[in-house]
Amino acid sequence: MTSTESIVRDVATEDTPVVPATQAPPRTSDTPMIDRYGPVEKALLYAGAGLFLIFILMPFIEAGLVSLKPLSHLFSRPYNFFPENASFDAYVTMWQSVPLLGRYIANGLFIALVQTALALLLIVPASYALARFEFPGHGLILGGFLAVSMFSGAVLLIPLYRLMRTFGILNTYWAMIIPGTAFLLPTGIWLLRTYMLRIPRELEEAAWVDGAGRFYIFRRVVLPLAMPGVVVVALTAFITSFAQQFIFALTFNSKSELMPLSVGLFSFFGRQEVIWNELMAASITGIAPVLVMFVFLQRYLVAGMTAGAVKQ
Amino acid sequence: MGQLTLSKLRKSFSNIEVIKTVDLDVEEGEFVVFVGPSGCGKSTLLRMIAGLEEATGGDIVISGKRVNELPPVKRGIAMVFQSYALYPHMSVFENIAFPLRVEKMNEADLNTKVNEAARVLQLDTRLKQKPGTLSGGQRQRVAIGRAIVREPKIFLFDEPLSNLDAALRAEMRIELTNLHKKLGATMIYVTHDQIEAMTMADRIVVLNFGEIAQVGSPLELYHKPANTFVASFIGNPKMNFLEVTCTGAGAAGVTVSLDGSGEAVIPVAPHEDLVGRTLTLGIRPEHVHLGSGDLELAFTPGVIERLGIHSVAYGTVGSSGENNFCGLFHGTAAIRDGRAATVGINAADCHLFDEDGQALERQIELSQADEALVDHTAA
Repeated sequence: MTSTESIVRDVATEDTPVVPATQAPPRTSDTPMIDRYGPVEKALLYAGAGLFLIFILMPFIEAGLVSLKPLSHLFSRPYNFFPENASFDAYVTMWQSVPLLGRYIANGLFIALVQTALALLLIVPASYALARFEFPGHGLILGGFLAVSMFSGAVLLIPLYRLMRTFGILNTYWAMIIPGTAFLLPTGIWLLRTYMLRIPRELEEAAWVDGAGRFYIFRRVVLPLAMPGVVVVALTAFITSFAQQFIFALTFNSKSELMPLSVGLFSFFGRQEVIWNELMAASITGIAPVLVMFVFLQRYLVAGMTAGAVKQ
Repeated sequence: MGQLTLSKLRKSFSNIEVIKTVDLDVEEGEFVVFVGPSGCGKSTLLRMIAGLEEATGGDIVISGKRVNELPPVKRGIAMVFQSYALYPHMSVFENIAFPLRVEKMNEADLNTKVNEAARVLQLDTRLKQKPGTLSGGQRQRVAIGRAIVREPKIFLFDEPLSNLDAALRAEMRIELTNLHKKLGATMIYVTHDQIEAMTMADRIVVLNFGEIAQVGSPLELYHKPANTFVASFIGNPKMNFLEVTCTGAGAAGVTVSLDGSGEAVIPVAPHEDLVGRTLTLGIRPEHVHLGSGDLELAFTPGVIERLGIHSVAYGTVGSSGENNFCGLFHGTAAIRDGRAATVGINAADCHLFDEDGQALERQIELSQADEALVDHTAA
């Protein structure tokens, strides 16, 4: 066989007059969708969106405002929605009222992170297998996952408690992490499987023809292409585990130093009264790290959810 | 025995037979094109050779070794896919280097090889780009580059040009033919486009419903199609078929009578027992001419396409009004839609098929038809 050079030299001596990159086919319209509406339609759209936002955000706004009010003003009549002499005192005093608050916040994040990591470790290979390989029981497994995800964790509390006791892991982090992780799997697998189905099979076949093994293909071809999907699954898993750790933490753990924030907040419930302003301040402080993280990662979330064809 | 031998190769997907007993020998260095309508099994056949589909029965032998159970890489083949199958997250360099990375080739050799391939494929300024920023033709070259660096024994192409526009396709055809000449490697090329088949192939394999309808050089298929399927598949516009009755057979050929047009002796090798039977007469549109001939037909064009160089007329012959007939005339032919014209055909241009659609062999020397077979040095 001739050397590669001579092989190809004549193939490409005359370059094909390919379309230069700058002359991309004109898009049907560069106008954003929103600019195609009239002013009245636009006003209605914004009003609708505003209504939704108020509905969803109202509790947060109220919580924020409550955290700024002195405790005595909270039960004043008539109730003032906006605080009169607002201060951030509650954000300082809460650390004294509940000394373990920092620990609670860290616990909550720790449990959610470990759950997410464990879940990903299981979800990624499982969804690839369920997307690509036909094996007996394939449909049954997928259907099973869907069915399981219809149960809420609360229904299974008692059997789970007995299970945890048998394994002797009550009152440990594992008691909160393991059941939480299990409930993350079905949604994650379904989400990521759908994403992986969109990766063209030909890419894997090409790699297979070029001599790559299954794991090599998975690592070098499939995983990088599935990354936006993996990020989406990781984010939803994290949100879910962060938001839903309450029930398992309340039931399977009674050690206060292991409590996540959602359970730890009960410390603000005194015998006589509830320190509402500090409670709200603690809640907001607790979700702040997650909130900040989302500001940076939400573009992945949007991109992953809407990502079109991987195929060119 | 060729470099690639398929013997009694079969493939079925859950009781549906996609490939029914294919036997084929491919010589080293040949450019073989598999052609056929969609669903005829040509891609499946290629994927079986590649090792992407398992054979249900039969043997695939490459260089004297049965490779049925071997993975693609051990078969010494490289494949170029219809969608190019470039890895969108890797640069052009990494795409071309992929097979070498799999082999764990050392970095210096790898660089040399990839750069060499890229330079001659005129991709050297694009090595850092992602495939998404390339045009169709450039992506095609990256895919070819990835196949070339492995220096395979056999190249497999699965409809590689079908995603390109017509102009680019014509140029890539020439590039691929050049590539084949330079490489001297065996190439197997799947397409549904008969132009690609006719222009590039040393040999064409026409497939129909999972069976080989005919194997031959492009002009052999054109001049001596073995059956009505190949006759209508090769050639554009399609061959016309007319029902005729056999009235005699002899050394000079078979005498047929066409309703309302009289009789003619078609120079084909006769079978026994033909007289009295209904046969099918095939005539290519380009062999229909205005005026008289061995057989004359009254042709009424319905639609006329004027292409400048040619006029293609579709219409009816005779009084039946249902025969779809097509004629290819010169660009300024004096024909008008709706107005009957007399067209003639020469007996020597005609094909004749029996009731099963099998051709009666035409008595034509292929060297008369195929320039490649003419020995110019002798003159």
